[in-house]
Amino acid sequence: MSASAIPRDGGSGGSVASARRHRLATPRRARVSADERDGRPRAVDGRLVDAVRESWLVEDRWWSEAPLRRRYWEVVTTCGRNVVVYHDLREGGWYRQR
Amino acid sequence: MVVCVLIPRFQLTVAAGDREELLGQPAALAPEAGREQRVGEVSLAAEAFGVRAGMPLGEALARCPQLALVPPDPAGVADAWERLIVRLESIGAAVEPERAGLACFEAQGLVRLHGGTLDHVLAAARTALRTPARLGAGPSRFCALAAATRARARRPQVVLGDERAARDYLASLPVALLRGRAQTAALPEPLGRLGVETLGELAALPRAAVADRFGEPGLLAWELAQGRDGTLRPREVPERVEEELELPEAMSGVQLERALGLLVDRLLARRERRGRSLRAVVLAATLVEGGTWREQVPFREALADPLRMRLALAARLALLPAPAERLRLAAVRFGPVASDQRSLLEQAAAERKARLREGVRQARAAAGPDAALRVLAVDPDSRVPERRAVLTPFE
Repeated sequence: MSASAIPRDGGSGGSVASARRHRLATPRRARVSADERDGRPRAVDGRLVDAVRESWLVEDRWWSEAPLRRRYWEVVTTCGRNVVVYHDLREGGWYRQR
Repeated sequence: MVVCVLIPRFQLTVAAGDREELLGQPAALAPEAGREQRVGEVSLAAEAFGVRAGMPLGEALARCPQLALVPPDPAGVADAWERLIVRLESIGAAVEPERAGLACFEAQGLVRLHGGTLDHVLAAARTALRTPARLGAGPSRFCALAAATRARARRPQVVLGDERAARDYLASLPVALLRGRAQTAALPEPLGRLGVETLGELAALPRAAVADRFGEPGLLAWELAQGRDGTLRPREVPERVEEELELPEAMSGVQLERALGLLVDRLLARRERRGRSLRAVVLAATLVEGGTWREQVPFREALADPLRMRLALAARLALLPAPAERLRLAAVRFGPVASDQRSLLEQAAAERKARLREGVRQARAAAGPDAALRVLAVDPDSRVPERRAVLTPFE
């Protein structure tokens, strides 16, 4: 099962939709504004970030044709919600994942 | 020859009870709590304002701001209707009750029993009912219904003859009559927009054209307009065993569940049950705010276990729109004699699994193959969350 094969928002097609329905914790696109210096999220989906709880880097499948590089951030927004977002360091874009 | 018994505004009349003055002014049955917000039967005065049964509540109030909303009384209606059906059956009729206020029966077998003519059968039915009703008779069920709508309170309307006579009789009648049948109730409006005003005009349309435009309901309407209709399916005379509990004070929540437990025990202890399991029960309540609430609960399988019955019924109590001051439980369908052989060893786990499997099977039958899934851990230690687990069909 390749992570890069996971369809993201905007994916279409019956088999794709079916695969998506049967997979758990698939990433969803998120609107994130980040600090340009260190990439720290400042707001997620319109909510300001109150605190960053943790950050980690995931590098996987570097030996394959679909390598994966993500910088994860676990943040708490001003409404008190705990959110995990990541920045795709290969293709760009922010995603929310739980 | 089919006889149709029609009591217009039956549900509204029962719900209004002794407040008969309500029926003389614009009034309608209020929507049942938790159901679609549409008015039920409406009074004649409300009809004059263009309010019709089944109309959205907002539209009805916009058309008639002084419309009085009568709280529905589904339990009272069911009781009153059952009494009338039993009276009809007492003359020997095999009755098919279509809805509260409308029932049909075949007169053929009753003619010799009641004086040799159809008029005698109609008179016997009227006497047995002991309540004003419109009676119509015709070669088909729909034709009899049409005749009943045109009959007067003391003068039945009879259409003699065969299918052709029925078609000729129906030809001049409005397509609005199709509202009397649930499958065709939505058709009169689009037919009217297309300029089809009478059943005769509908019958003159090509069958294929009607099927193309309206599908299955259209085909049924076309058949009805031709004077044809399905055969009667009389009900099996139900055996009814019921228990009622008057609550000392209005109850809801856990207290009400205890009262329900008591009712279940009492019902199962009734001698008339003769050891049989129950397939379906009716749970009804009189609400503290007025009106009643009624819900028929068919069990997934025939039951005689009070614990499982309580489990199935307690979930329905949560749907009660207000605290109840009276609770009633009636067994309406019985299953085979409860004779589940008990095993020597405790097999609770195996039994639970079997029930779960049966539950999954029924959920899939109702909602498709994806109705029951389970989480399968594929790579639980993966650093990439979407690789850790997938949903897979429940085995």
